Amino acid sequence: MDASPLASVVPALKELPAFAEGQRVRVLERAPIGHYRVPIYLRGHVGTVERVIEPAMIDNEEEGYGRNAGNRLHYYRVSFAMTEVWDDYEGSPRDELHIEIFETWLEQA
Amino acid sequence: MAHDHDHDHDHGHDHDHDHDHHAPITADAAPGYYEVMETAVREILIAKGYLTANDIRRQIEVLDSRTPALGAAVVARAWTDPAFKARLLENGRTACEELGISFYDDTQLIVLENTAEVHNLIVCTLCSCYPRPVLGLPPDWYKLKPYRARAVSEPRKVLAEFGTILPDDVEIRVSDSTAVIRYLVLPRRPEGTEGWSEAQLAAIVTRDAMIGVIPATLEKEAA
Amino acid sequence: MPTQDFVSRLPNDIGGFEAGSVQRVEHVLEPWEKRCHALADVLDFKKLINTEEKRKGVEALGETLIGKLPYYERWIVAFANISFTKGFFTPTELAEKMAEVEAHFAEQQAG
Repeated sequence: MDASPLASVVPALKELPAFAEGQRVRVLERAPIGHYRVPIYLRGHVGTVERVIEPAMIDNEEEGYGRNAGNRLHYYRVSFAMTEVWDDYEGSPRDELHIEIFETWLEQA
Repeated sequence: MAHDHDHDHDHGHDHDHDHDHHAPITADAAPGYYEVMETAVREILIAKGYLTANDIRRQIEVLDSRTPALGAAVVARAWTDPAFKARLLENGRTACEELGISFYDDTQLIVLENTAEVHNLIVCTLCSCYPRPVLGLPPDWYKLKPYRARAVSEPRKVLAEFGTILPDDVEIRVSDSTAVIRYLVLPRRPEGTEGWSEAQLAAIVTRDAMIGVIPATLEKEAA
Repeated sequence: MPTQDFVSRLPNDIGGFEAGSVQRVEHVLEPWEKRCHALADVLDFKKLINTEEKRKGVEALGETLIGKLPYYERWIVAFANISFTKGFFTPTELAEKMAEVEAHFAEQQAG
């Protein structure tokens, strides 16, 4: 077997995005003190990854403490149904909210 | 004005200033406390070599060169050049860079296309993220609580306050900017503009249409 | 309200809050406000104070001050506080410089 070397490239740990377009994800219910960039109104809600934002970047929550270099992960543009986010939402059931969320804030739903 | 919703307070742009905080500076007026602080902070940082007066001067020129006219030129190009529009929707930043618009703040740009079925609206609930490289600095209302608090939870009411009433079968997509991505709304090209030049089209594209709070219309309504 | 809600919610995290109707207010920036904006950009370019540190510095002013101070007033106070922490200059140096700037402005007006 002469397998192409391209088939055996090993990416570094966490180099590739953890979530893919179309995947259902939940925003963690975490409530950190200090700095954060995921609004409280979205915590615990389930949405769909609309696109993976390339390239990977430094967590802006860490940048808040002056870390301008370090480990990079991906941001994801995630869409939520408005009716899933707000119990008493007035509008079309198709209305959506879109937001970018850093990988550390998401889990598979 | 079609968007008037509160006749006691909204008689036009002359009354849209916050007089308490933004009294015009005249030759006789003593500078305010915070202006003194700004001058002091800047001068100390320059004296200690952290930055130069030229750094600040140049950045003021950068800011002055960024106005909604840039975004309007991008929109007009997208309306008249389908291949450019495709590139713009694929990667907003690189398409704008093609036209010479640099992204000095190192943000990315996603351009959101309004259609007969979908209406986009942009907001930053946490602060004041805004596509500054293509639109310049945001208006005060974009940075104030009512818009930031309500655009994500009752966008149809907020749009109505701008005079924009959307039927229920038009889907609203609100984009809340929080990190490295900025958004620009590509408004629908109004009917009756067939055969218009790019310059004519750009002249009817308003800042507020590119935020998504009003449509682009033949009558340029807002700033 | 349990006290933990105060420590785990940032003052500017207001998405979904009740608020009045949108008044379409805007103003042309004062020269010092534009200089303050340019200063913010330059501090970020040089990573002396990056944009996220500025946002965190504004949140650190707390809800009361954030409610009372206009936009660029919040920024310049945040920049001063962060500069003290980073050792760019001391509170005394800033106080002395502000007195000097004020005196300079007064001189200009008198002259």
